[in-house]
Amino acid sequence: MNREIREAFFFILPLGIFVLLLMLLPVIGSFWISLWQDVSFLPRKFAGLGNYFRLLKDFQFWQSAGFTLIFSFASVTLEMVAGTIIALVLNESFRFRGIMRGITLLPWAIPSVIGARIWQLIYRYDYGLANYVLRGTSGLSVNWLGSSGGAFLSLILADSWRTTPFVAIILLAGLQSVPQGLYEQAKIDGANLFQRFFKVTLPVIKPVVIVALIFRTIDALRVFDVIYVITGGGPGGFTTSISLYSYKYFLLGDFSYGSTVSIFLFIIAFTITILYIRAGRFREAAL
Amino acid sequence: MRRLFLLVLISLGFFSGCSKKESLLTFAVGGAPNEVDYWEKLIGEFEDKNHIKVKLLRQPTDTDMRRQSLVTPLNAKEKDPDLFLMDVAWIAQFAASGWLLPLDSCIKKDSFDMARLFGSVVHQVDLYKGEVISLPVYIDCGLLYFRKDLLKKYGCSIPETWNDILKCVERIQDEERKNNPNFFGFVWQGAQYEGLVCNFIEFIASNGGNIMDIAGNITVNSNENIQALQFMRDLIHKYQISPPNTFTEMREEEVRTFFENGNALFERNWPYAWKLHNSQGSPVRGKVGIALLPKFDNGRHAASLGGWHIGISWYSDKKDEAWELLKFILSYEIQKKLCLNLSWNPARIDIYDDPEVKERVLHMEVLKKAFESTVSRPNSPYYTQVSEILQRYVNAAISGKIEPNEALKEAQRGIEKIVERYHE
Repeated sequence: MNREIREAFFFILPLGIFVLLLMLLPVIGSFWISLWQDVSFLPRKFAGLGNYFRLLKDFQFWQSAGFTLIFSFASVTLEMVAGTIIALVLNESFRFRGIMRGITLLPWAIPSVIGARIWQLIYRYDYGLANYVLRGTSGLSVNWLGSSGGAFLSLILADSWRTTPFVAIILLAGLQSVPQGLYEQAKIDGANLFQRFFKVTLPVIKPVVIVALIFRTIDALRVFDVIYVITGGGPGGFTTSISLYSYKYFLLGDFSYGSTVSIFLFIIAFTITILYIRAGRFREAAL
Repeated sequence: MRRLFLLVLISLGFFSGCSKKESLLTFAVGGAPNEVDYWEKLIGEFEDKNHIKVKLLRQPTDTDMRRQSLVTPLNAKEKDPDLFLMDVAWIAQFAASGWLLPLDSCIKKDSFDMARLFGSVVHQVDLYKGEVISLPVYIDCGLLYFRKDLLKKYGCSIPETWNDILKCVERIQDEERKNNPNFFGFVWQGAQYEGLVCNFIEFIASNGGNIMDIAGNITVNSNENIQALQFMRDLIHKYQISPPNTFTEMREEEVRTFFENGNALFERNWPYAWKLHNSQGSPVRGKVGIALLPKFDNGRHAASLGGWHIGISWYSDKKDEAWELLKFILSYEIQKKLCLNLSWNPARIDIYDDPEVKERVLHMEVLKKAFESTVSRPNSPYYTQVSEILQRYVNAAISGKIEPNEALKEAQRGIEKIVERYHE
């Protein structure tokens, strides 16, 4: 081992310890708990994969898994599209650009529970802002969270509002690394605006897009606070995400089944991340 | 190199650097903001009297969140909180989990007079394997609040049956909406949470139904229950006398403020709302009456048994001090104060004969009658799992997503599975 590598090792060590203690150990711990019958009011005993078999047959779990996947897909798509547009605009030079960039980031700076609470107050049936405006213009009141579709769209909107700025800022950083010369060459070759975006911009910022996708997808799969605050999983359990589902089991005192659900969520998130990295050919692009 | 070593040491220091604080007696209390504020005052009195420092752990209003903030430390065998209030519905789980300190020796040592507490309540929920593991602080049950002024104005009498409610509202709702488009006939708790189960149990019991029969069989999917559930759903969708957000947002506080703002004729709520409805600045002050909840034609008045009980943590390091505080809370003086200031129904029977209480709390008689008609939720360690299923399907049914008979069939199946899974 040469000196350089040895020093690098020491620099990484503190981070390594943190990752081990704060990330890897909890995952292993959860997995360990999921192999037991750990219910607060029952005797503790080894259950092997029993909890996983139970999970496979749990209709409600699959319903919440389905909801979580659709929710993640919809909100991440919306965030990526809106985030790209905002990033492209903010990348142009115009007056007050610095201020605009700051303002755009605001929703991301708000703690997510508070952001969710704001949206809850907008959606409230009796004194919510949305119905206040609607009553003023048409005299109608809509129970936004009362139907499955309404609750779904309301959640997507609330979630995207908060996280789009994050996507926009990451992509903006990527955009600034695109050499201006490439655009000029493309222009000379007669490429129009869309061609320049898809043939020049996108390939260059692809690694950044993948990073944003990974962050956002993992976050969306774990979604908890927005749903907990706005719908509480209703109506009729339709908007119960996997995290909320596992939380409910912790509350009920069945820690092993709650952990099993969490481990399953971890596997889904991990798989999707691997797929992204493969699809983005991250290694080549980064080099 | 040496600097790097230092860095590692510092980062390790983060994990070992927990400071040792003087441990205080910790008491976890939640509830409506005015309730928690009042507890703070009572705790102050206790501190002055007994020279025991108490840390009040303020919990939220929401029952599920209060429970979560207890389950987590107790399962981790934490020393705090030492003393806490529990909803009636959790006691079986907490006891079966071994989280509660049996109180028999304390009771014997201080010759604490159990006969002063409501015996039937203690007997139903505070005993586990023959030992006293908690004590009631106050007793709750569902009540019907109504607008005296409006019933008088339109010449309606206090409703006895659910049909009476429909008849009353039919006349009043349309008239009142001319001035207040936001006016609804009847508000109750329909959001997907524990309160929905309390409401559901009242509706079904007032139609002769139940969740579990005496032999312990699950009887959710019965004709009586389907009929009652259909009625709950009709209140929102067919008769439209309950607001459309009943099944999404209506919890205790939402219902209370809705009624308090003068937007409803009838309200189903717990006794705590009385004091707030009649407080200064309340638009319905002096216009509110209470009665037993209505029944179906061939049923009976039914009110869910609620209320909060106090227990000492098995892991507490301040068990003696906790017992002192517990005794203080159950003393005549404090129970009377809780009754007069928060309109909580004391767990002590002797308060009900107190002349001052009788004079100032006019509805004491109605409450006594309501207590005689209480129904309790199934008392088992896995009740919460049962409740979870009920919440989901009852909410789905009243939201109109699935038919009541379908909902109860699914609920029955789900609960049977839970019994199979968790029954020891």
